[in-house]
Formats: sequence, structure tokens, C-alpha cells
Amino acid sequence: MNHYSISNSLRTILFVMMGLGVLCLGLTWIGDDHSHTRFWSNVLHNAVFFTGIAIMATFFMAASITAYAGWYTAFKRVFESFSAFLLPGFIIMTLIGVAVFMHANHLYHWADEKSVANDEILKGKSGFLNKNWYLFGTVIIGAAYTYIAMKIRSLSVAEEHTEGEANFSTHRSIRTYAAIFLPVFGFTSVVLIWQWIMSVDAHWYSTMFAWYSLASLFVAMMCLVALLLIYLRGKGYYQNLSKHHVHDVGKFIFGISVFWTYLWFSQFMLIWYANIGEETIYFRERYDNYPVLFFGNLVINFALPFLILMRNDTKWKTGSISFIAVVVFLGHWLDFFLMVKPGVLHTAHELVGHAAEGGHGAAETAGGGHGAEAVSSIVSGFTFPGMLELGTMLGFLGLFMFTILTALSKSSLTSEKDPYVGESLHHHV
Amino acid sequence: MAHKEVIFGLYSDEQDLLKAIRKAKSSHLDIMDVYTPFPVHGLDPLLDLEESRIHIAGFIYGMIGTLTAFLSMTWITTKDWPVIFGGKPYWSVPAFIPITFELTVLFACVGMVITFYIICGMGPGVTNPTLDDRITDDKFCLAFDKAHVSENDARALFSSTGAEEVNSKTI
Repeated sequence: MNHYSISNSLRTILFVMMGLGVLCLGLTWIGDDHSHTRFWSNVLHNAVFFTGIAIMATFFMAASITAYAGWYTAFKRVFESFSAFLLPGFIIMTLIGVAVFMHANHLYHWADEKSVANDEILKGKSGFLNKNWYLFGTVIIGAAYTYIAMKIRSLSVAEEHTEGEANFSTHRSIRTYAAIFLPVFGFTSVVLIWQWIMSVDAHWYSTMFAWYSLASLFVAMMCLVALLLIYLRGKGYYQNLSKHHVHDVGKFIFGISVFWTYLWFSQFMLIWYANIGEETIYFRERYDNYPVLFFGNLVINFALPFLILMRNDTKWKTGSISFIAVVVFLGHWLDFFLMVKPGVLHTAHELVGHAAEGGHGAAETAGGGHGAEAVSSIVSGFTFPGMLELGTMLGFLGLFMFTILTALSKSSLTSEKDPYVGESLHHHV
Repeated sequence: MAHKEVIFGLYSDEQDLLKAIRKAKSSHLDIMDVYTPFPVHGLDPLLDLEESRIHIAGFIYGMIGTLTAFLSMTWITTKDWPVIFGGKPYWSVPAFIPITFELTVLFACVGMVITFYIICGMGPGVTNPTLDDRITDDKFCLAFDKAHVSENDARALFSSTGAEEVNSKTI
């Protein structure tokens, strides 16, 4: 069973998930305030999260190829199929960028020209945080990532069909593209995180933020890889893999979870210790108004994987690894929720305030009920994920899984011609 | 310690060694020990060795380190010598975390090293007999205790599995 095909029941499930996502987005749009804050923040949250997972899968692949790593080669198609989501992911991000460009949403405080005109800090940042660069940067960086990922993927498929003795020329050109991707990724991934996520809190910045959120995405990506491997092995595919492969994926979940905690805490402690108002406002807001998520974030993403995956056998036993993969995946989704929502909500408040000053905002303020009532009380959809947020997430997950499973079904599951496949099949720890 | 009469064969390939071990097990020869210059894959299950329990000890040492650091910092900063740093409360938990982390690692590492030395009977001033110096370099050694395995059986096994040298030593 070296060729995967999506079963009809799974296809139905994925389409139902996507339909649910569209339905939830529609319901969010209808019951929203006048600038559709909840709708746009949900789209941004999920689009960044799943596009980021695809980016991190591409990064993992490029780093492993460049490092001559062989252990994952037998299932490298999984990572290649993850990178197939780069195209739809960046298209959605570009649509958000177009909406920012046309002032169709109010996700970002810096995108509001009236606010920037009276704000020295935003004026100082406007060289980077402006609607032109936001759209242009998303498109150009996304095009570069997608091009390299598609090139690696197509060369990897072509490698399999080479006739005769392998001369490794295809593998060498894959390695060239992978090596080119790494510096491109290194300099531009932080830019994407700054403009997509960190600029939601337009006045605030942290130099550790990009690392921290990329570590978050890496863990989420590895959780999906573990779940997909367990699912495929349960369906009879990938019988050539042993428990040692799943074990190593488990080690990545364990290790990068600790790395994520290290970055989370380093960022928190520096800001807490320096105690500068411009910086502490980020944590003050979350600590006061999102206490369950703020501390739950650490429990779900650090304490649980650290204590459960510390043992040897829990990293490859199906029950424990799939439990922790589901929990930690949702945990990092919540982490991104906590990055996006407070800042967007704050921007919505500010804009409602400006509108009221302008003398025509009274009616709109009433319409923007979420903006006024949310602070210091649990409001589903802003201070805590509601059903519509979960439904949207399932919709994006359905789209993501459909994209990657379609890509997975287009070539063999294990590439027999890859020079590292023998090493991978005899992987033993 | 009682002296042991040991007969041992030296191999220069780990695959030959693994074959010899399988043959010794199938003919019910009681293997005393196996010495290799580097970890050989598949050797542990072949010798029916249990998984080491040293990581459980390491976890306990780590927890002791965590508690030592956290409780002593708490006592120092709140009871013994309270000083205000940077306007923070006496009991400032985030500031304790780095030290707690360091002591957890330190206690776990040092504790496991000491435990390992005690279990293996090693320590300053202790000399352990070596069957042959080359087993730390490029030779793989399979050893039998003459009290349990007759010399003829051992020599027959070594010659049939391609041992390069067969020697005896009293340790």
C-alpha cells in the first residue's frame, strides 16, 4: 500500500467540516459589529495558524535535507504534502491583505489613517506598518516560499521516476533549493509574524515574539504529523515505518514544547522585570481579562506534554501520543487566539471611540456591542473561544487536511529512489 | 571479591559478535559479559538486559532540586533576608524560575552520575580489571566464566564463530 487514496467517507467528513467552517463564518458575519471585528479576527487567527503550520513543515523539510538527516525520509511525503497548503494559505492571507488595503476591516490600528496622523509612535512605525507593505510583503514572501516548496516537491516526485542507477543529481538540486530556502525563511518568517500577528498590538513590540510564535507553530505542525502518521498506519499505510519513527516525532513535540516554554517565559520575565509600561501593557491586558487562557496556555502547552511525554514509551504508544497531540494542537491554537484577539478588540474600542468623537458614532457604538462589554468579563468569541470560533477552526482544519491528503494521494507514500530511504527504513534508536 | 577464571574471545566485527551471542544462547552457554568499544544496536535485547532505571532516579533528583531551589529562595527572600529589588514583592516567583531550572538540572545530572558510579562500583581509587585493552578501541569481546561454562565448549563456540583470538584471564 504505497499509494494513498482518500476514502469517500473521509472526503465527506472533510467537506462537512469545510461547510461547517463556512457556515460559522457566515453566522459570525451576521451577528457581528459594524466593522465585523469578530469575523475578521477569526479569519486572521486561523489563516495565520494553518499557513504557519505549512511554513514550518517546509522549514523542517529544508533543514533536514540540508542537515543530511535521513530518519524521516520514508515519510517525507507527509511534510511535502503539508507544504502544499502554502498556496491556499497565502491566497487567504493575500485576501486579508487586500481587505486591509481597501480598509474593509479594522484588524490593525496602524491601518487607520486618522489614528496614525495623531499618534507619534504609529507614525514612526509607518515605514513598515502600512497597507502597501502589508499586501506587497505577504504576496512577495508567500510567492517565494510557495515557489521553493513546489520546486522541492516536484523534484522529489521526479526523483522517483528516474531510470537506471541513481546518480543523485536530482537530490543535489533538491538540496540546493532547500539550502536557498533556509536564509530566505530565516529573514522573512519574522517579518511575516511581525506584520500579521505582532502588529495587531500596534504600539507594542518584542524581539522574542517571532521566535516564540514560530516555536508554537512548529509544535502544532509536529502534532498534526504525529496524528496523520497514526491515522495512516491505522488504515494500513506506512507499514514500513516502525515505532521508532513515531517516537522521534514525539521527541520533537516534547523538545519544542519545552523550547516554546523557554521563549514564552523569557519574553514574560524580561518584560515583567523591566516593568516598562509600554511593554507590560501586553501582559497586563491578558492577565486581567483572559486569566483562564493565560495560565491555561502554560498548563496545556508546557505541563501536560512535559510530564506525559517525559517517559520513553508514551512517545510512541498510540493512545498517549495521539491524546497529547490533540491537546497540544488545540493549546497552540489557543495560544494564537490569545495573541490575536485582545489587540483586535482594543483596536475596535479605539475606533469606536474615534467615531464617537467625530459626532456620528452613537448609533454605531450601539451596534458594536462587543466592543463595549468585553473588558473584564468572559465574552464568548473575544475573551474565550466560542462555538463559532471552534467551527471556524474545524473548517480551516478540513480545508488543510483536504489539501494535504490530496497532495499525498498524488505520489507514492515512500520514495524508493531517495538516497536516504534505506537509512530511514532501518531507523533504530 | 572471589577471583574468576574468565575465557574470552575477541572479534573485530560486531555482526560476528551478535552471531556468536545468538549461537551461545541457542546452545545454552551462560554468557558472563560482553564488552564493546561503542554501543551496538540490538545487543541489549539479545542479552535480555532490562531497561535502565536510572532515569527514574534522575527524575527524583530533579524534583529534589526544584524543591530545594524554590523553597530556599522563598525562605531567603521572605523570612531570612527580605530585600526589595526593583519595587517587586518579596515573593517574586518569576525571578525564581531561572534558579529553580538550574538547580533542577544540576541535581539531576550530579545525582545520576553519582548513582551510576555507585551501581557500577566505580569511584576514585577503584581499579577495575580489563580483559584486554583493545576492547576500548576496536575489538568486541564475548566472555564466559569457567565456573559455569567448560573451556572446551567455549573454545568450540569461538572457533566456529570466527573469533580472532581466544584468551584466558583471572580477574
